[in-house]
Amino acid sequence: MGSIRFQNVDKVFGASQAGVKVLDDINLAIGEKEFVAIVGPSGCGKTTCLRMVAGFEAPSSGTITVSGKVVTEPGPDRAVVFQQFALFPWKTVRENIDLGLRNKNLPAAERDRLIADALKLMNLESHAGAFPHQLSGGMQQRVAIARAYVLDPDVLLMDEPFGALDAQTRVVMQEELVRLARVNPRTVLFITHAVEEAVYLADRVAIMTRRPGRIKEVLDIKSVRIAENWDRFARIEDVMDQESFVHLRTQIWKSLREEKGAQGV
Amino acid sequence: MIGRRGLIGLGTVAGVIALWFALTTLTGIVSGARFPSPSEFWASLVQIWTRGYAGGQLLTHALHSLKLVVMGFLVAIATGIPLGLWMGWSRRAEAAINPVFLVIRPIPPLAWIPLAILWLGLGDAAKIMVIWFSAFVPSVINTFAGVRNIDRPILEAARMLGTPRWRMVTEIIAPAASPLIFTGLRLSLQASWTTLVAAELVGAMVGVGFVLNMAQQDLYPAMILVGMITVGILGWATTFALARVERQALAWNVAARD
Repeated sequence: MGSIRFQNVDKVFGASQAGVKVLDDINLAIGEKEFVAIVGPSGCGKTTCLRMVAGFEAPSSGTITVSGKVVTEPGPDRAVVFQQFALFPWKTVRENIDLGLRNKNLPAAERDRLIADALKLMNLESHAGAFPHQLSGGMQQRVAIARAYVLDPDVLLMDEPFGALDAQTRVVMQEELVRLARVNPRTVLFITHAVEEAVYLADRVAIMTRRPGRIKEVLDIKSVRIAENWDRFARIEDVMDQESFVHLRTQIWKSLREEKGAQGV
Repeated sequence: MIGRRGLIGLGTVAGVIALWFALTTLTGIVSGARFPSPSEFWASLVQIWTRGYAGGQLLTHALHSLKLVVMGFLVAIATGIPLGLWMGWSRRAEAAINPVFLVIRPIPPLAWIPLAILWLGLGDAAKIMVIWFSAFVPSVINTFAGVRNIDRPILEAARMLGTPRWRMVTEIIAPAASPLIFTGLRLSLQASWTTLVAAELVGAMVGVGFVLNMAQQDLYPAMILVGMITVGILGWATTFALARVERQALAWNVAARD
């Protein structure tokens, strides 16, 4: 349960002959409870990769499997956290989290328990009755994460989830996500253009080329994190000071810069 | 409590009445045969309120008109909102229904009155039908636009959560489209009054439009003014009631705009 596999995935937007090829032969396997971040220049198709796993779009060729099953449509086994939160503004925090549970036809008592857990996990207990517009961006994204976690999904798909947040909130949320990954590890596919964020959060970072996007290289972060014991630091800035962190970050930057250079930017 | 804006509004009303008095009773610039003086207006109002005019007292006429508007409006939105939701949701439904709309839409609602009277006579049914036709279109079109304007991530989030089809309509599509749906309802309500008064002018035995028609035949400008102001007050009251409902229903949205 909880693996993601891209096999020879191409994606063409528009009619197949005249269309624009955005993804070219993507192959990537994400193991159970592994956290993989995809970084790449803008327009490289990284978000499209996530949208295909979510079932919002279909590959033009090749297959995507989640937990061994071919993805054909969206479903609660693949929870998505969107950059723009995508909360339902007419529902309270509690109702937003509850919808997925009601769709699963769970009994009320069990839903109450799961919602209480999710609210506690994301420190939202005092906001259960609030509407999304009454919350800050960071709080809204907490609700979206709670809404995803409560489904107990096989995989968690996060599409630049902190991209719409201010810098301070962003750091708090990144630390929060690391904490979550420790108490409740999940298979995560995380899309970002922020290199530090990818290195800080991910077990592996996949770097994509410019369009048509291919997987250029995949860097192992986890072994470095364990060898250098980054987990002894509570704060992201302390991790980011480590030479091993700086080294990985620079490596990814250089790789991305090559792509921009190739683009003539 | 009357706020500053309320006071300004009251001042305007008082000014208009003073000007009215000045132009008619005081100076006689406007003759009573064309436009009534305030005292003539008041006398007509007392007449229709107590003894009645055109076969009934003011309250009878007003309540009858109000009843028809409310019924026609309710029929129109009960059919228009579902159709708009369906057209917004299904490209196929839109493709099927839109051509019919393109032909029917330019027909002024009032042009249905002769056919309605021919089919259903001078009674209530004909008027409800005409109101339905006129109030239906804004409801459908705005509901349709409301559905089409829903942010894609909202729909994707609902699908990702495994929301079944019917719940998708009632809990996601309809509330997400509701700000524009209410815009449609306001336009529908306006159209309902316009159409009703016109229909009652053409053929009716009771109602505010009938009062206006009789007063015209009796060359009775003061009573015409009473009828017009009654329509104005009734229209304002229903608009106000709808605005209250809207504020309740869209509390999540109104607060977001503040």
